[in-house]
Amino acid sequence: MDLVLQAVVNGLVSGALLAVPAIGFTAMFAVLRFPNFSVSGVATLGAFAGYMAYAAGLQIVGSLSVAFVVAGTVGLFLDRVAHLPLVKQGALPAAIASIASGLVLENVVRLGFGNDMRGFDRPIARDVRFGDIRINPQQTETMGVALAIMLLVFAALAFTRVGKAMRASADNPELAALKGIRPERVAMMASFVGMGLVGVGGMLLGLDSSIDPLTGARILLSIFAAAVLGGLGSAPGAVLGAFLIGVAEELSVLVVGSPYRSAVGFFAILIVLSLRPRGLLGERAF
Amino acid sequence: MMNARIGRRATLLGGVAAVAAPAVLRAETDPIRIATLTPLTGAGGAYGPAMAKVAAAVVEEVNKSGGVLGRKVVLVSEDDQTNPDAGVRAARKLIDVDKVAAILGTWASSVTTAVAPLCWENKTFLCTVSGADTITQLPHQGYLVRTQPNTVLQITRTGGFLVGLGARKIFTLVPQTPFAKSSIEIMEGVARKAGGSHAGLIYDDKKTTYRTEVDQALRFAPDAILCAGYTPDTIVLLKDLYRAGYKGKIIGQAYAINRKLIEQVGQNEVVEGVYTYAPSVAEGSNALERVKKMSGLASPDPYTSQVYDHVNMVLMAMAAAKAFNGTAIRDNIRKVTQGGGKPVDNAIDGLKAIAAAEKVDYTGASGPCDFDDKGDILDCKFRYEQIKAGKPVLVKIA
Amino acid sequence: MANYLLFIATIGGIYGLLALGLNLIWGGTGMVNLGLAGFFAVGAYASALATTTAHLPIPVGWMLALIAGGGAGLVVVFSTTRLREDYLAIVTLGFAEVVRLAASNEIWLTRGTDGISGIPGPWKATLGPDFNAVYLPIVLAVLAVVFVLVRRIDRSPYGRALRAIREDAQVAQVAGKPVLRFKAQAFALSAAIAGLAGALYGHFTSYIAPDLFLPLITIYIFLSVAAGGIGNPTGSLVGAYLLMTLLESARFLVEFIPYVTAVQRAALKELLIALALILVLRLMPRGLLPERIPRAPSPQTGGKS
Repeated sequence: MDLVLQAVVNGLVSGALLAVPAIGFTAMFAVLRFPNFSVSGVATLGAFAGYMAYAAGLQIVGSLSVAFVVAGTVGLFLDRVAHLPLVKQGALPAAIASIASGLVLENVVRLGFGNDMRGFDRPIARDVRFGDIRINPQQTETMGVALAIMLLVFAALAFTRVGKAMRASADNPELAALKGIRPERVAMMASFVGMGLVGVGGMLLGLDSSIDPLTGARILLSIFAAAVLGGLGSAPGAVLGAFLIGVAEELSVLVVGSPYRSAVGFFAILIVLSLRPRGLLGERAF
Repeated sequence: MMNARIGRRATLLGGVAAVAAPAVLRAETDPIRIATLTPLTGAGGAYGPAMAKVAAAVVEEVNKSGGVLGRKVVLVSEDDQTNPDAGVRAARKLIDVDKVAAILGTWASSVTTAVAPLCWENKTFLCTVSGADTITQLPHQGYLVRTQPNTVLQITRTGGFLVGLGARKIFTLVPQTPFAKSSIEIMEGVARKAGGSHAGLIYDDKKTTYRTEVDQALRFAPDAILCAGYTPDTIVLLKDLYRAGYKGKIIGQAYAINRKLIEQVGQNEVVEGVYTYAPSVAEGSNALERVKKMSGLASPDPYTSQVYDHVNMVLMAMAAAKAFNGTAIRDNIRKVTQGGGKPVDNAIDGLKAIAAAEKVDYTGASGPCDFDDKGDILDCKFRYEQIKAGKPVLVKIA
Repeated sequence: MANYLLFIATIGGIYGLLALGLNLIWGGTGMVNLGLAGFFAVGAYASALATTTAHLPIPVGWMLALIAGGGAGLVVVFSTTRLREDYLAIVTLGFAEVVRLAASNEIWLTRGTDGISGIPGPWKATLGPDFNAVYLPIVLAVLAVVFVLVRRIDRSPYGRALRAIREDAQVAQVAGKPVLRFKAQAFALSAAIAGLAGALYGHFTSYIAPDLFLPLITIYIFLSVAAGGIGNPTGSLVGAYLLMTLLESARFLVEFIPYVTAVQRAALKELLIALALILVLRLMPRGLLPERIPRAPSPQTGGKS
């Protein structure tokens, strides 16, 4: 029983970290209408940008902001130059191009930093024990940051003009355009903020463990699974999906052993698509 | 037709010139070709260059003293990129284009496993430093020897060392590699024989956190943990073990728990007290001194020393056979490395003795270099160190 | 040098096979298979295990590779019965990853990361160094057979039905075409071809391991088909050999860049390929050889469309 409880705790932590990029991914899908697989490369890029900022002396919040801006800018650029022009031909060519651009970003990082794993220069602290359950103080810190970011995003979506415009545009683009909301602007916002969140997610992941060119590629399947599970286009769905996927991955280790962890996302997607393709919270915008 | 005539004329002229040329030039037309195939890039990239360098140094020395039976030795060096695909392509080139008699120094077990069939099919001799047990179990028909202790030897000795330190509950953490399963099985046997217990876990070496794996390990309440992985995953593992509050003994391979790892971890408490083991270069031997000079390393890693031995053994075997191909090496290598005779530790002395029709017994920089039928070394010593205040300190050689 | 060129030509042929398979479904029905590397691996392992562990003759191994690939294709296709484009994409992507994980970890079956070495080649022992020269015609022969097969499908009523499904599945369904069955068949056939390519690869290099079946191969094939012209089988072959040229030129080009480590060289190569795919998709969406849509038979001949 303790094993299960520890797995759940670990899963909630990793789920919180997964939720941030998942929200970005699902929001972009809602507005831009294609699955953007370059999140793998953008997450890595964000992680490394944050790493450099941290090494240069910025604190956590400052480095996260750097990660956000770098990732958002690059993501916006790629969307406008490579992906969106292809959406006219269909979601598929855009998706394929996004895989390629993810690879481009990964290799740019590799060019600059090589394949070695790097860790953020933070002191390693011993876990805190609650009975038989262990929680690492740094993990709780990172999780707290993730939750704070999520709250920020939801607040922005609900209360700011830009947020409301995005939701309207995702819900019904024609109607939104009639109301004066410029679809171009909304799309750009979606790219920038969505990818920014992905970059932040990459850095959070790195804070928790370490970073290397494959950081983003490792979580690609899980991000997609979280978004699909929750319902593509639904931000609360992405959060729910992320926690579920995180816990499912940890529990799966107890059953099938550690190597097949990443397969959990795959099977989750299969099951969701077969039984309830709209996801848990439905394919609605936000 | 025109071309054929010119060709024949040139050959005739060339033949005359060759006969008329002085002895040294004659040797040049028929050199002995051997090659190193080491990881100059990739995961093993830290070791390959030194291995190739020491081989080149030995060859140069031998050539300066007149070569092998008057023939010059030519060494070709290729990069296997620590990747079986690249290794196979490089081996093909060495066998088909350079036509070498022997390939030395393959490091990664996956590269050796891929290259070995090419070698034995083409009767090219292969000397490897890879440790996976399955390698010598391949049907190599004698065209393979390895100077690295195999997994059985390594784990048995390491387990013995842990038991000697008082460990009774050992846990083995090993990544998914060719030696994973056998490591666990062998350590299990060692623990049981000492009256203790053991459990093991195979993990994915590309993960960024091993919290769950560490959890599982600690459930077993071990007093000693074997971390049999490589540097990147061991860094994460050690950090996670520290976070989890593990206070027992930890031991790992010296090539993984090295200076770079200590630097990257960055916090001495995390690595304090961690043991390392490595096949011992025969401390104090002249051969080792030679290797130090030739490689330029103050403390050469075991692979560099092994390649030094590879070159020496292969050249002496060819001299003893008075033939210069892979089959000759296969049939004669044990005649020059074991079975009694004048002890030698370098090729120059060995070649001189062989020329004088003496039997030699080569003892190298990596150990006694005595092989069984399958190509495994019969025995070797191990060096155990412990990290104290961020620096490795010798515990014992046994 | 000759050996090297033979080697390149043979690998190019194998990539050509993969490209034909992808073109069949991408150009045919508009489905994508982002998990090509997975089916490639399934076929390679099926044939390698059959000929090494079970000591079956090589042609049997290749048959098994076809069946294994096709079977795996059917499994994937029926797991996602609705087969919406982008969902199929991610499912196939995940499939390739699961195959790689299984290959690495199910040691009892696949020998794990050790890989399978000593895969026999046809008449390898007797041919010795001439093996490469003989294997290339074998690959080209297989390629020719598959090419003819794919062309015939393309031009047949079945092919027209597939293209109808690509253009608008609903209309096709209304027109009475068993959409699901056709899609499944096409996908399974494409996967079978990929499996066969895997077997050819394994018997050529005599060694396979999980790390050889990277998603990068899938990108290569997408580039081949996109560059050559989606929907045109000849284009797929042209694209595959163009890809090989690009790959090998990249290797040579990159070697001349000074002050670059080997890791950086590898990264540059991958980067160039990925960039090429994006450029091709953006600037040459039709590829080099446009799709030749055969005209529907004219009404007076009473042909069924």
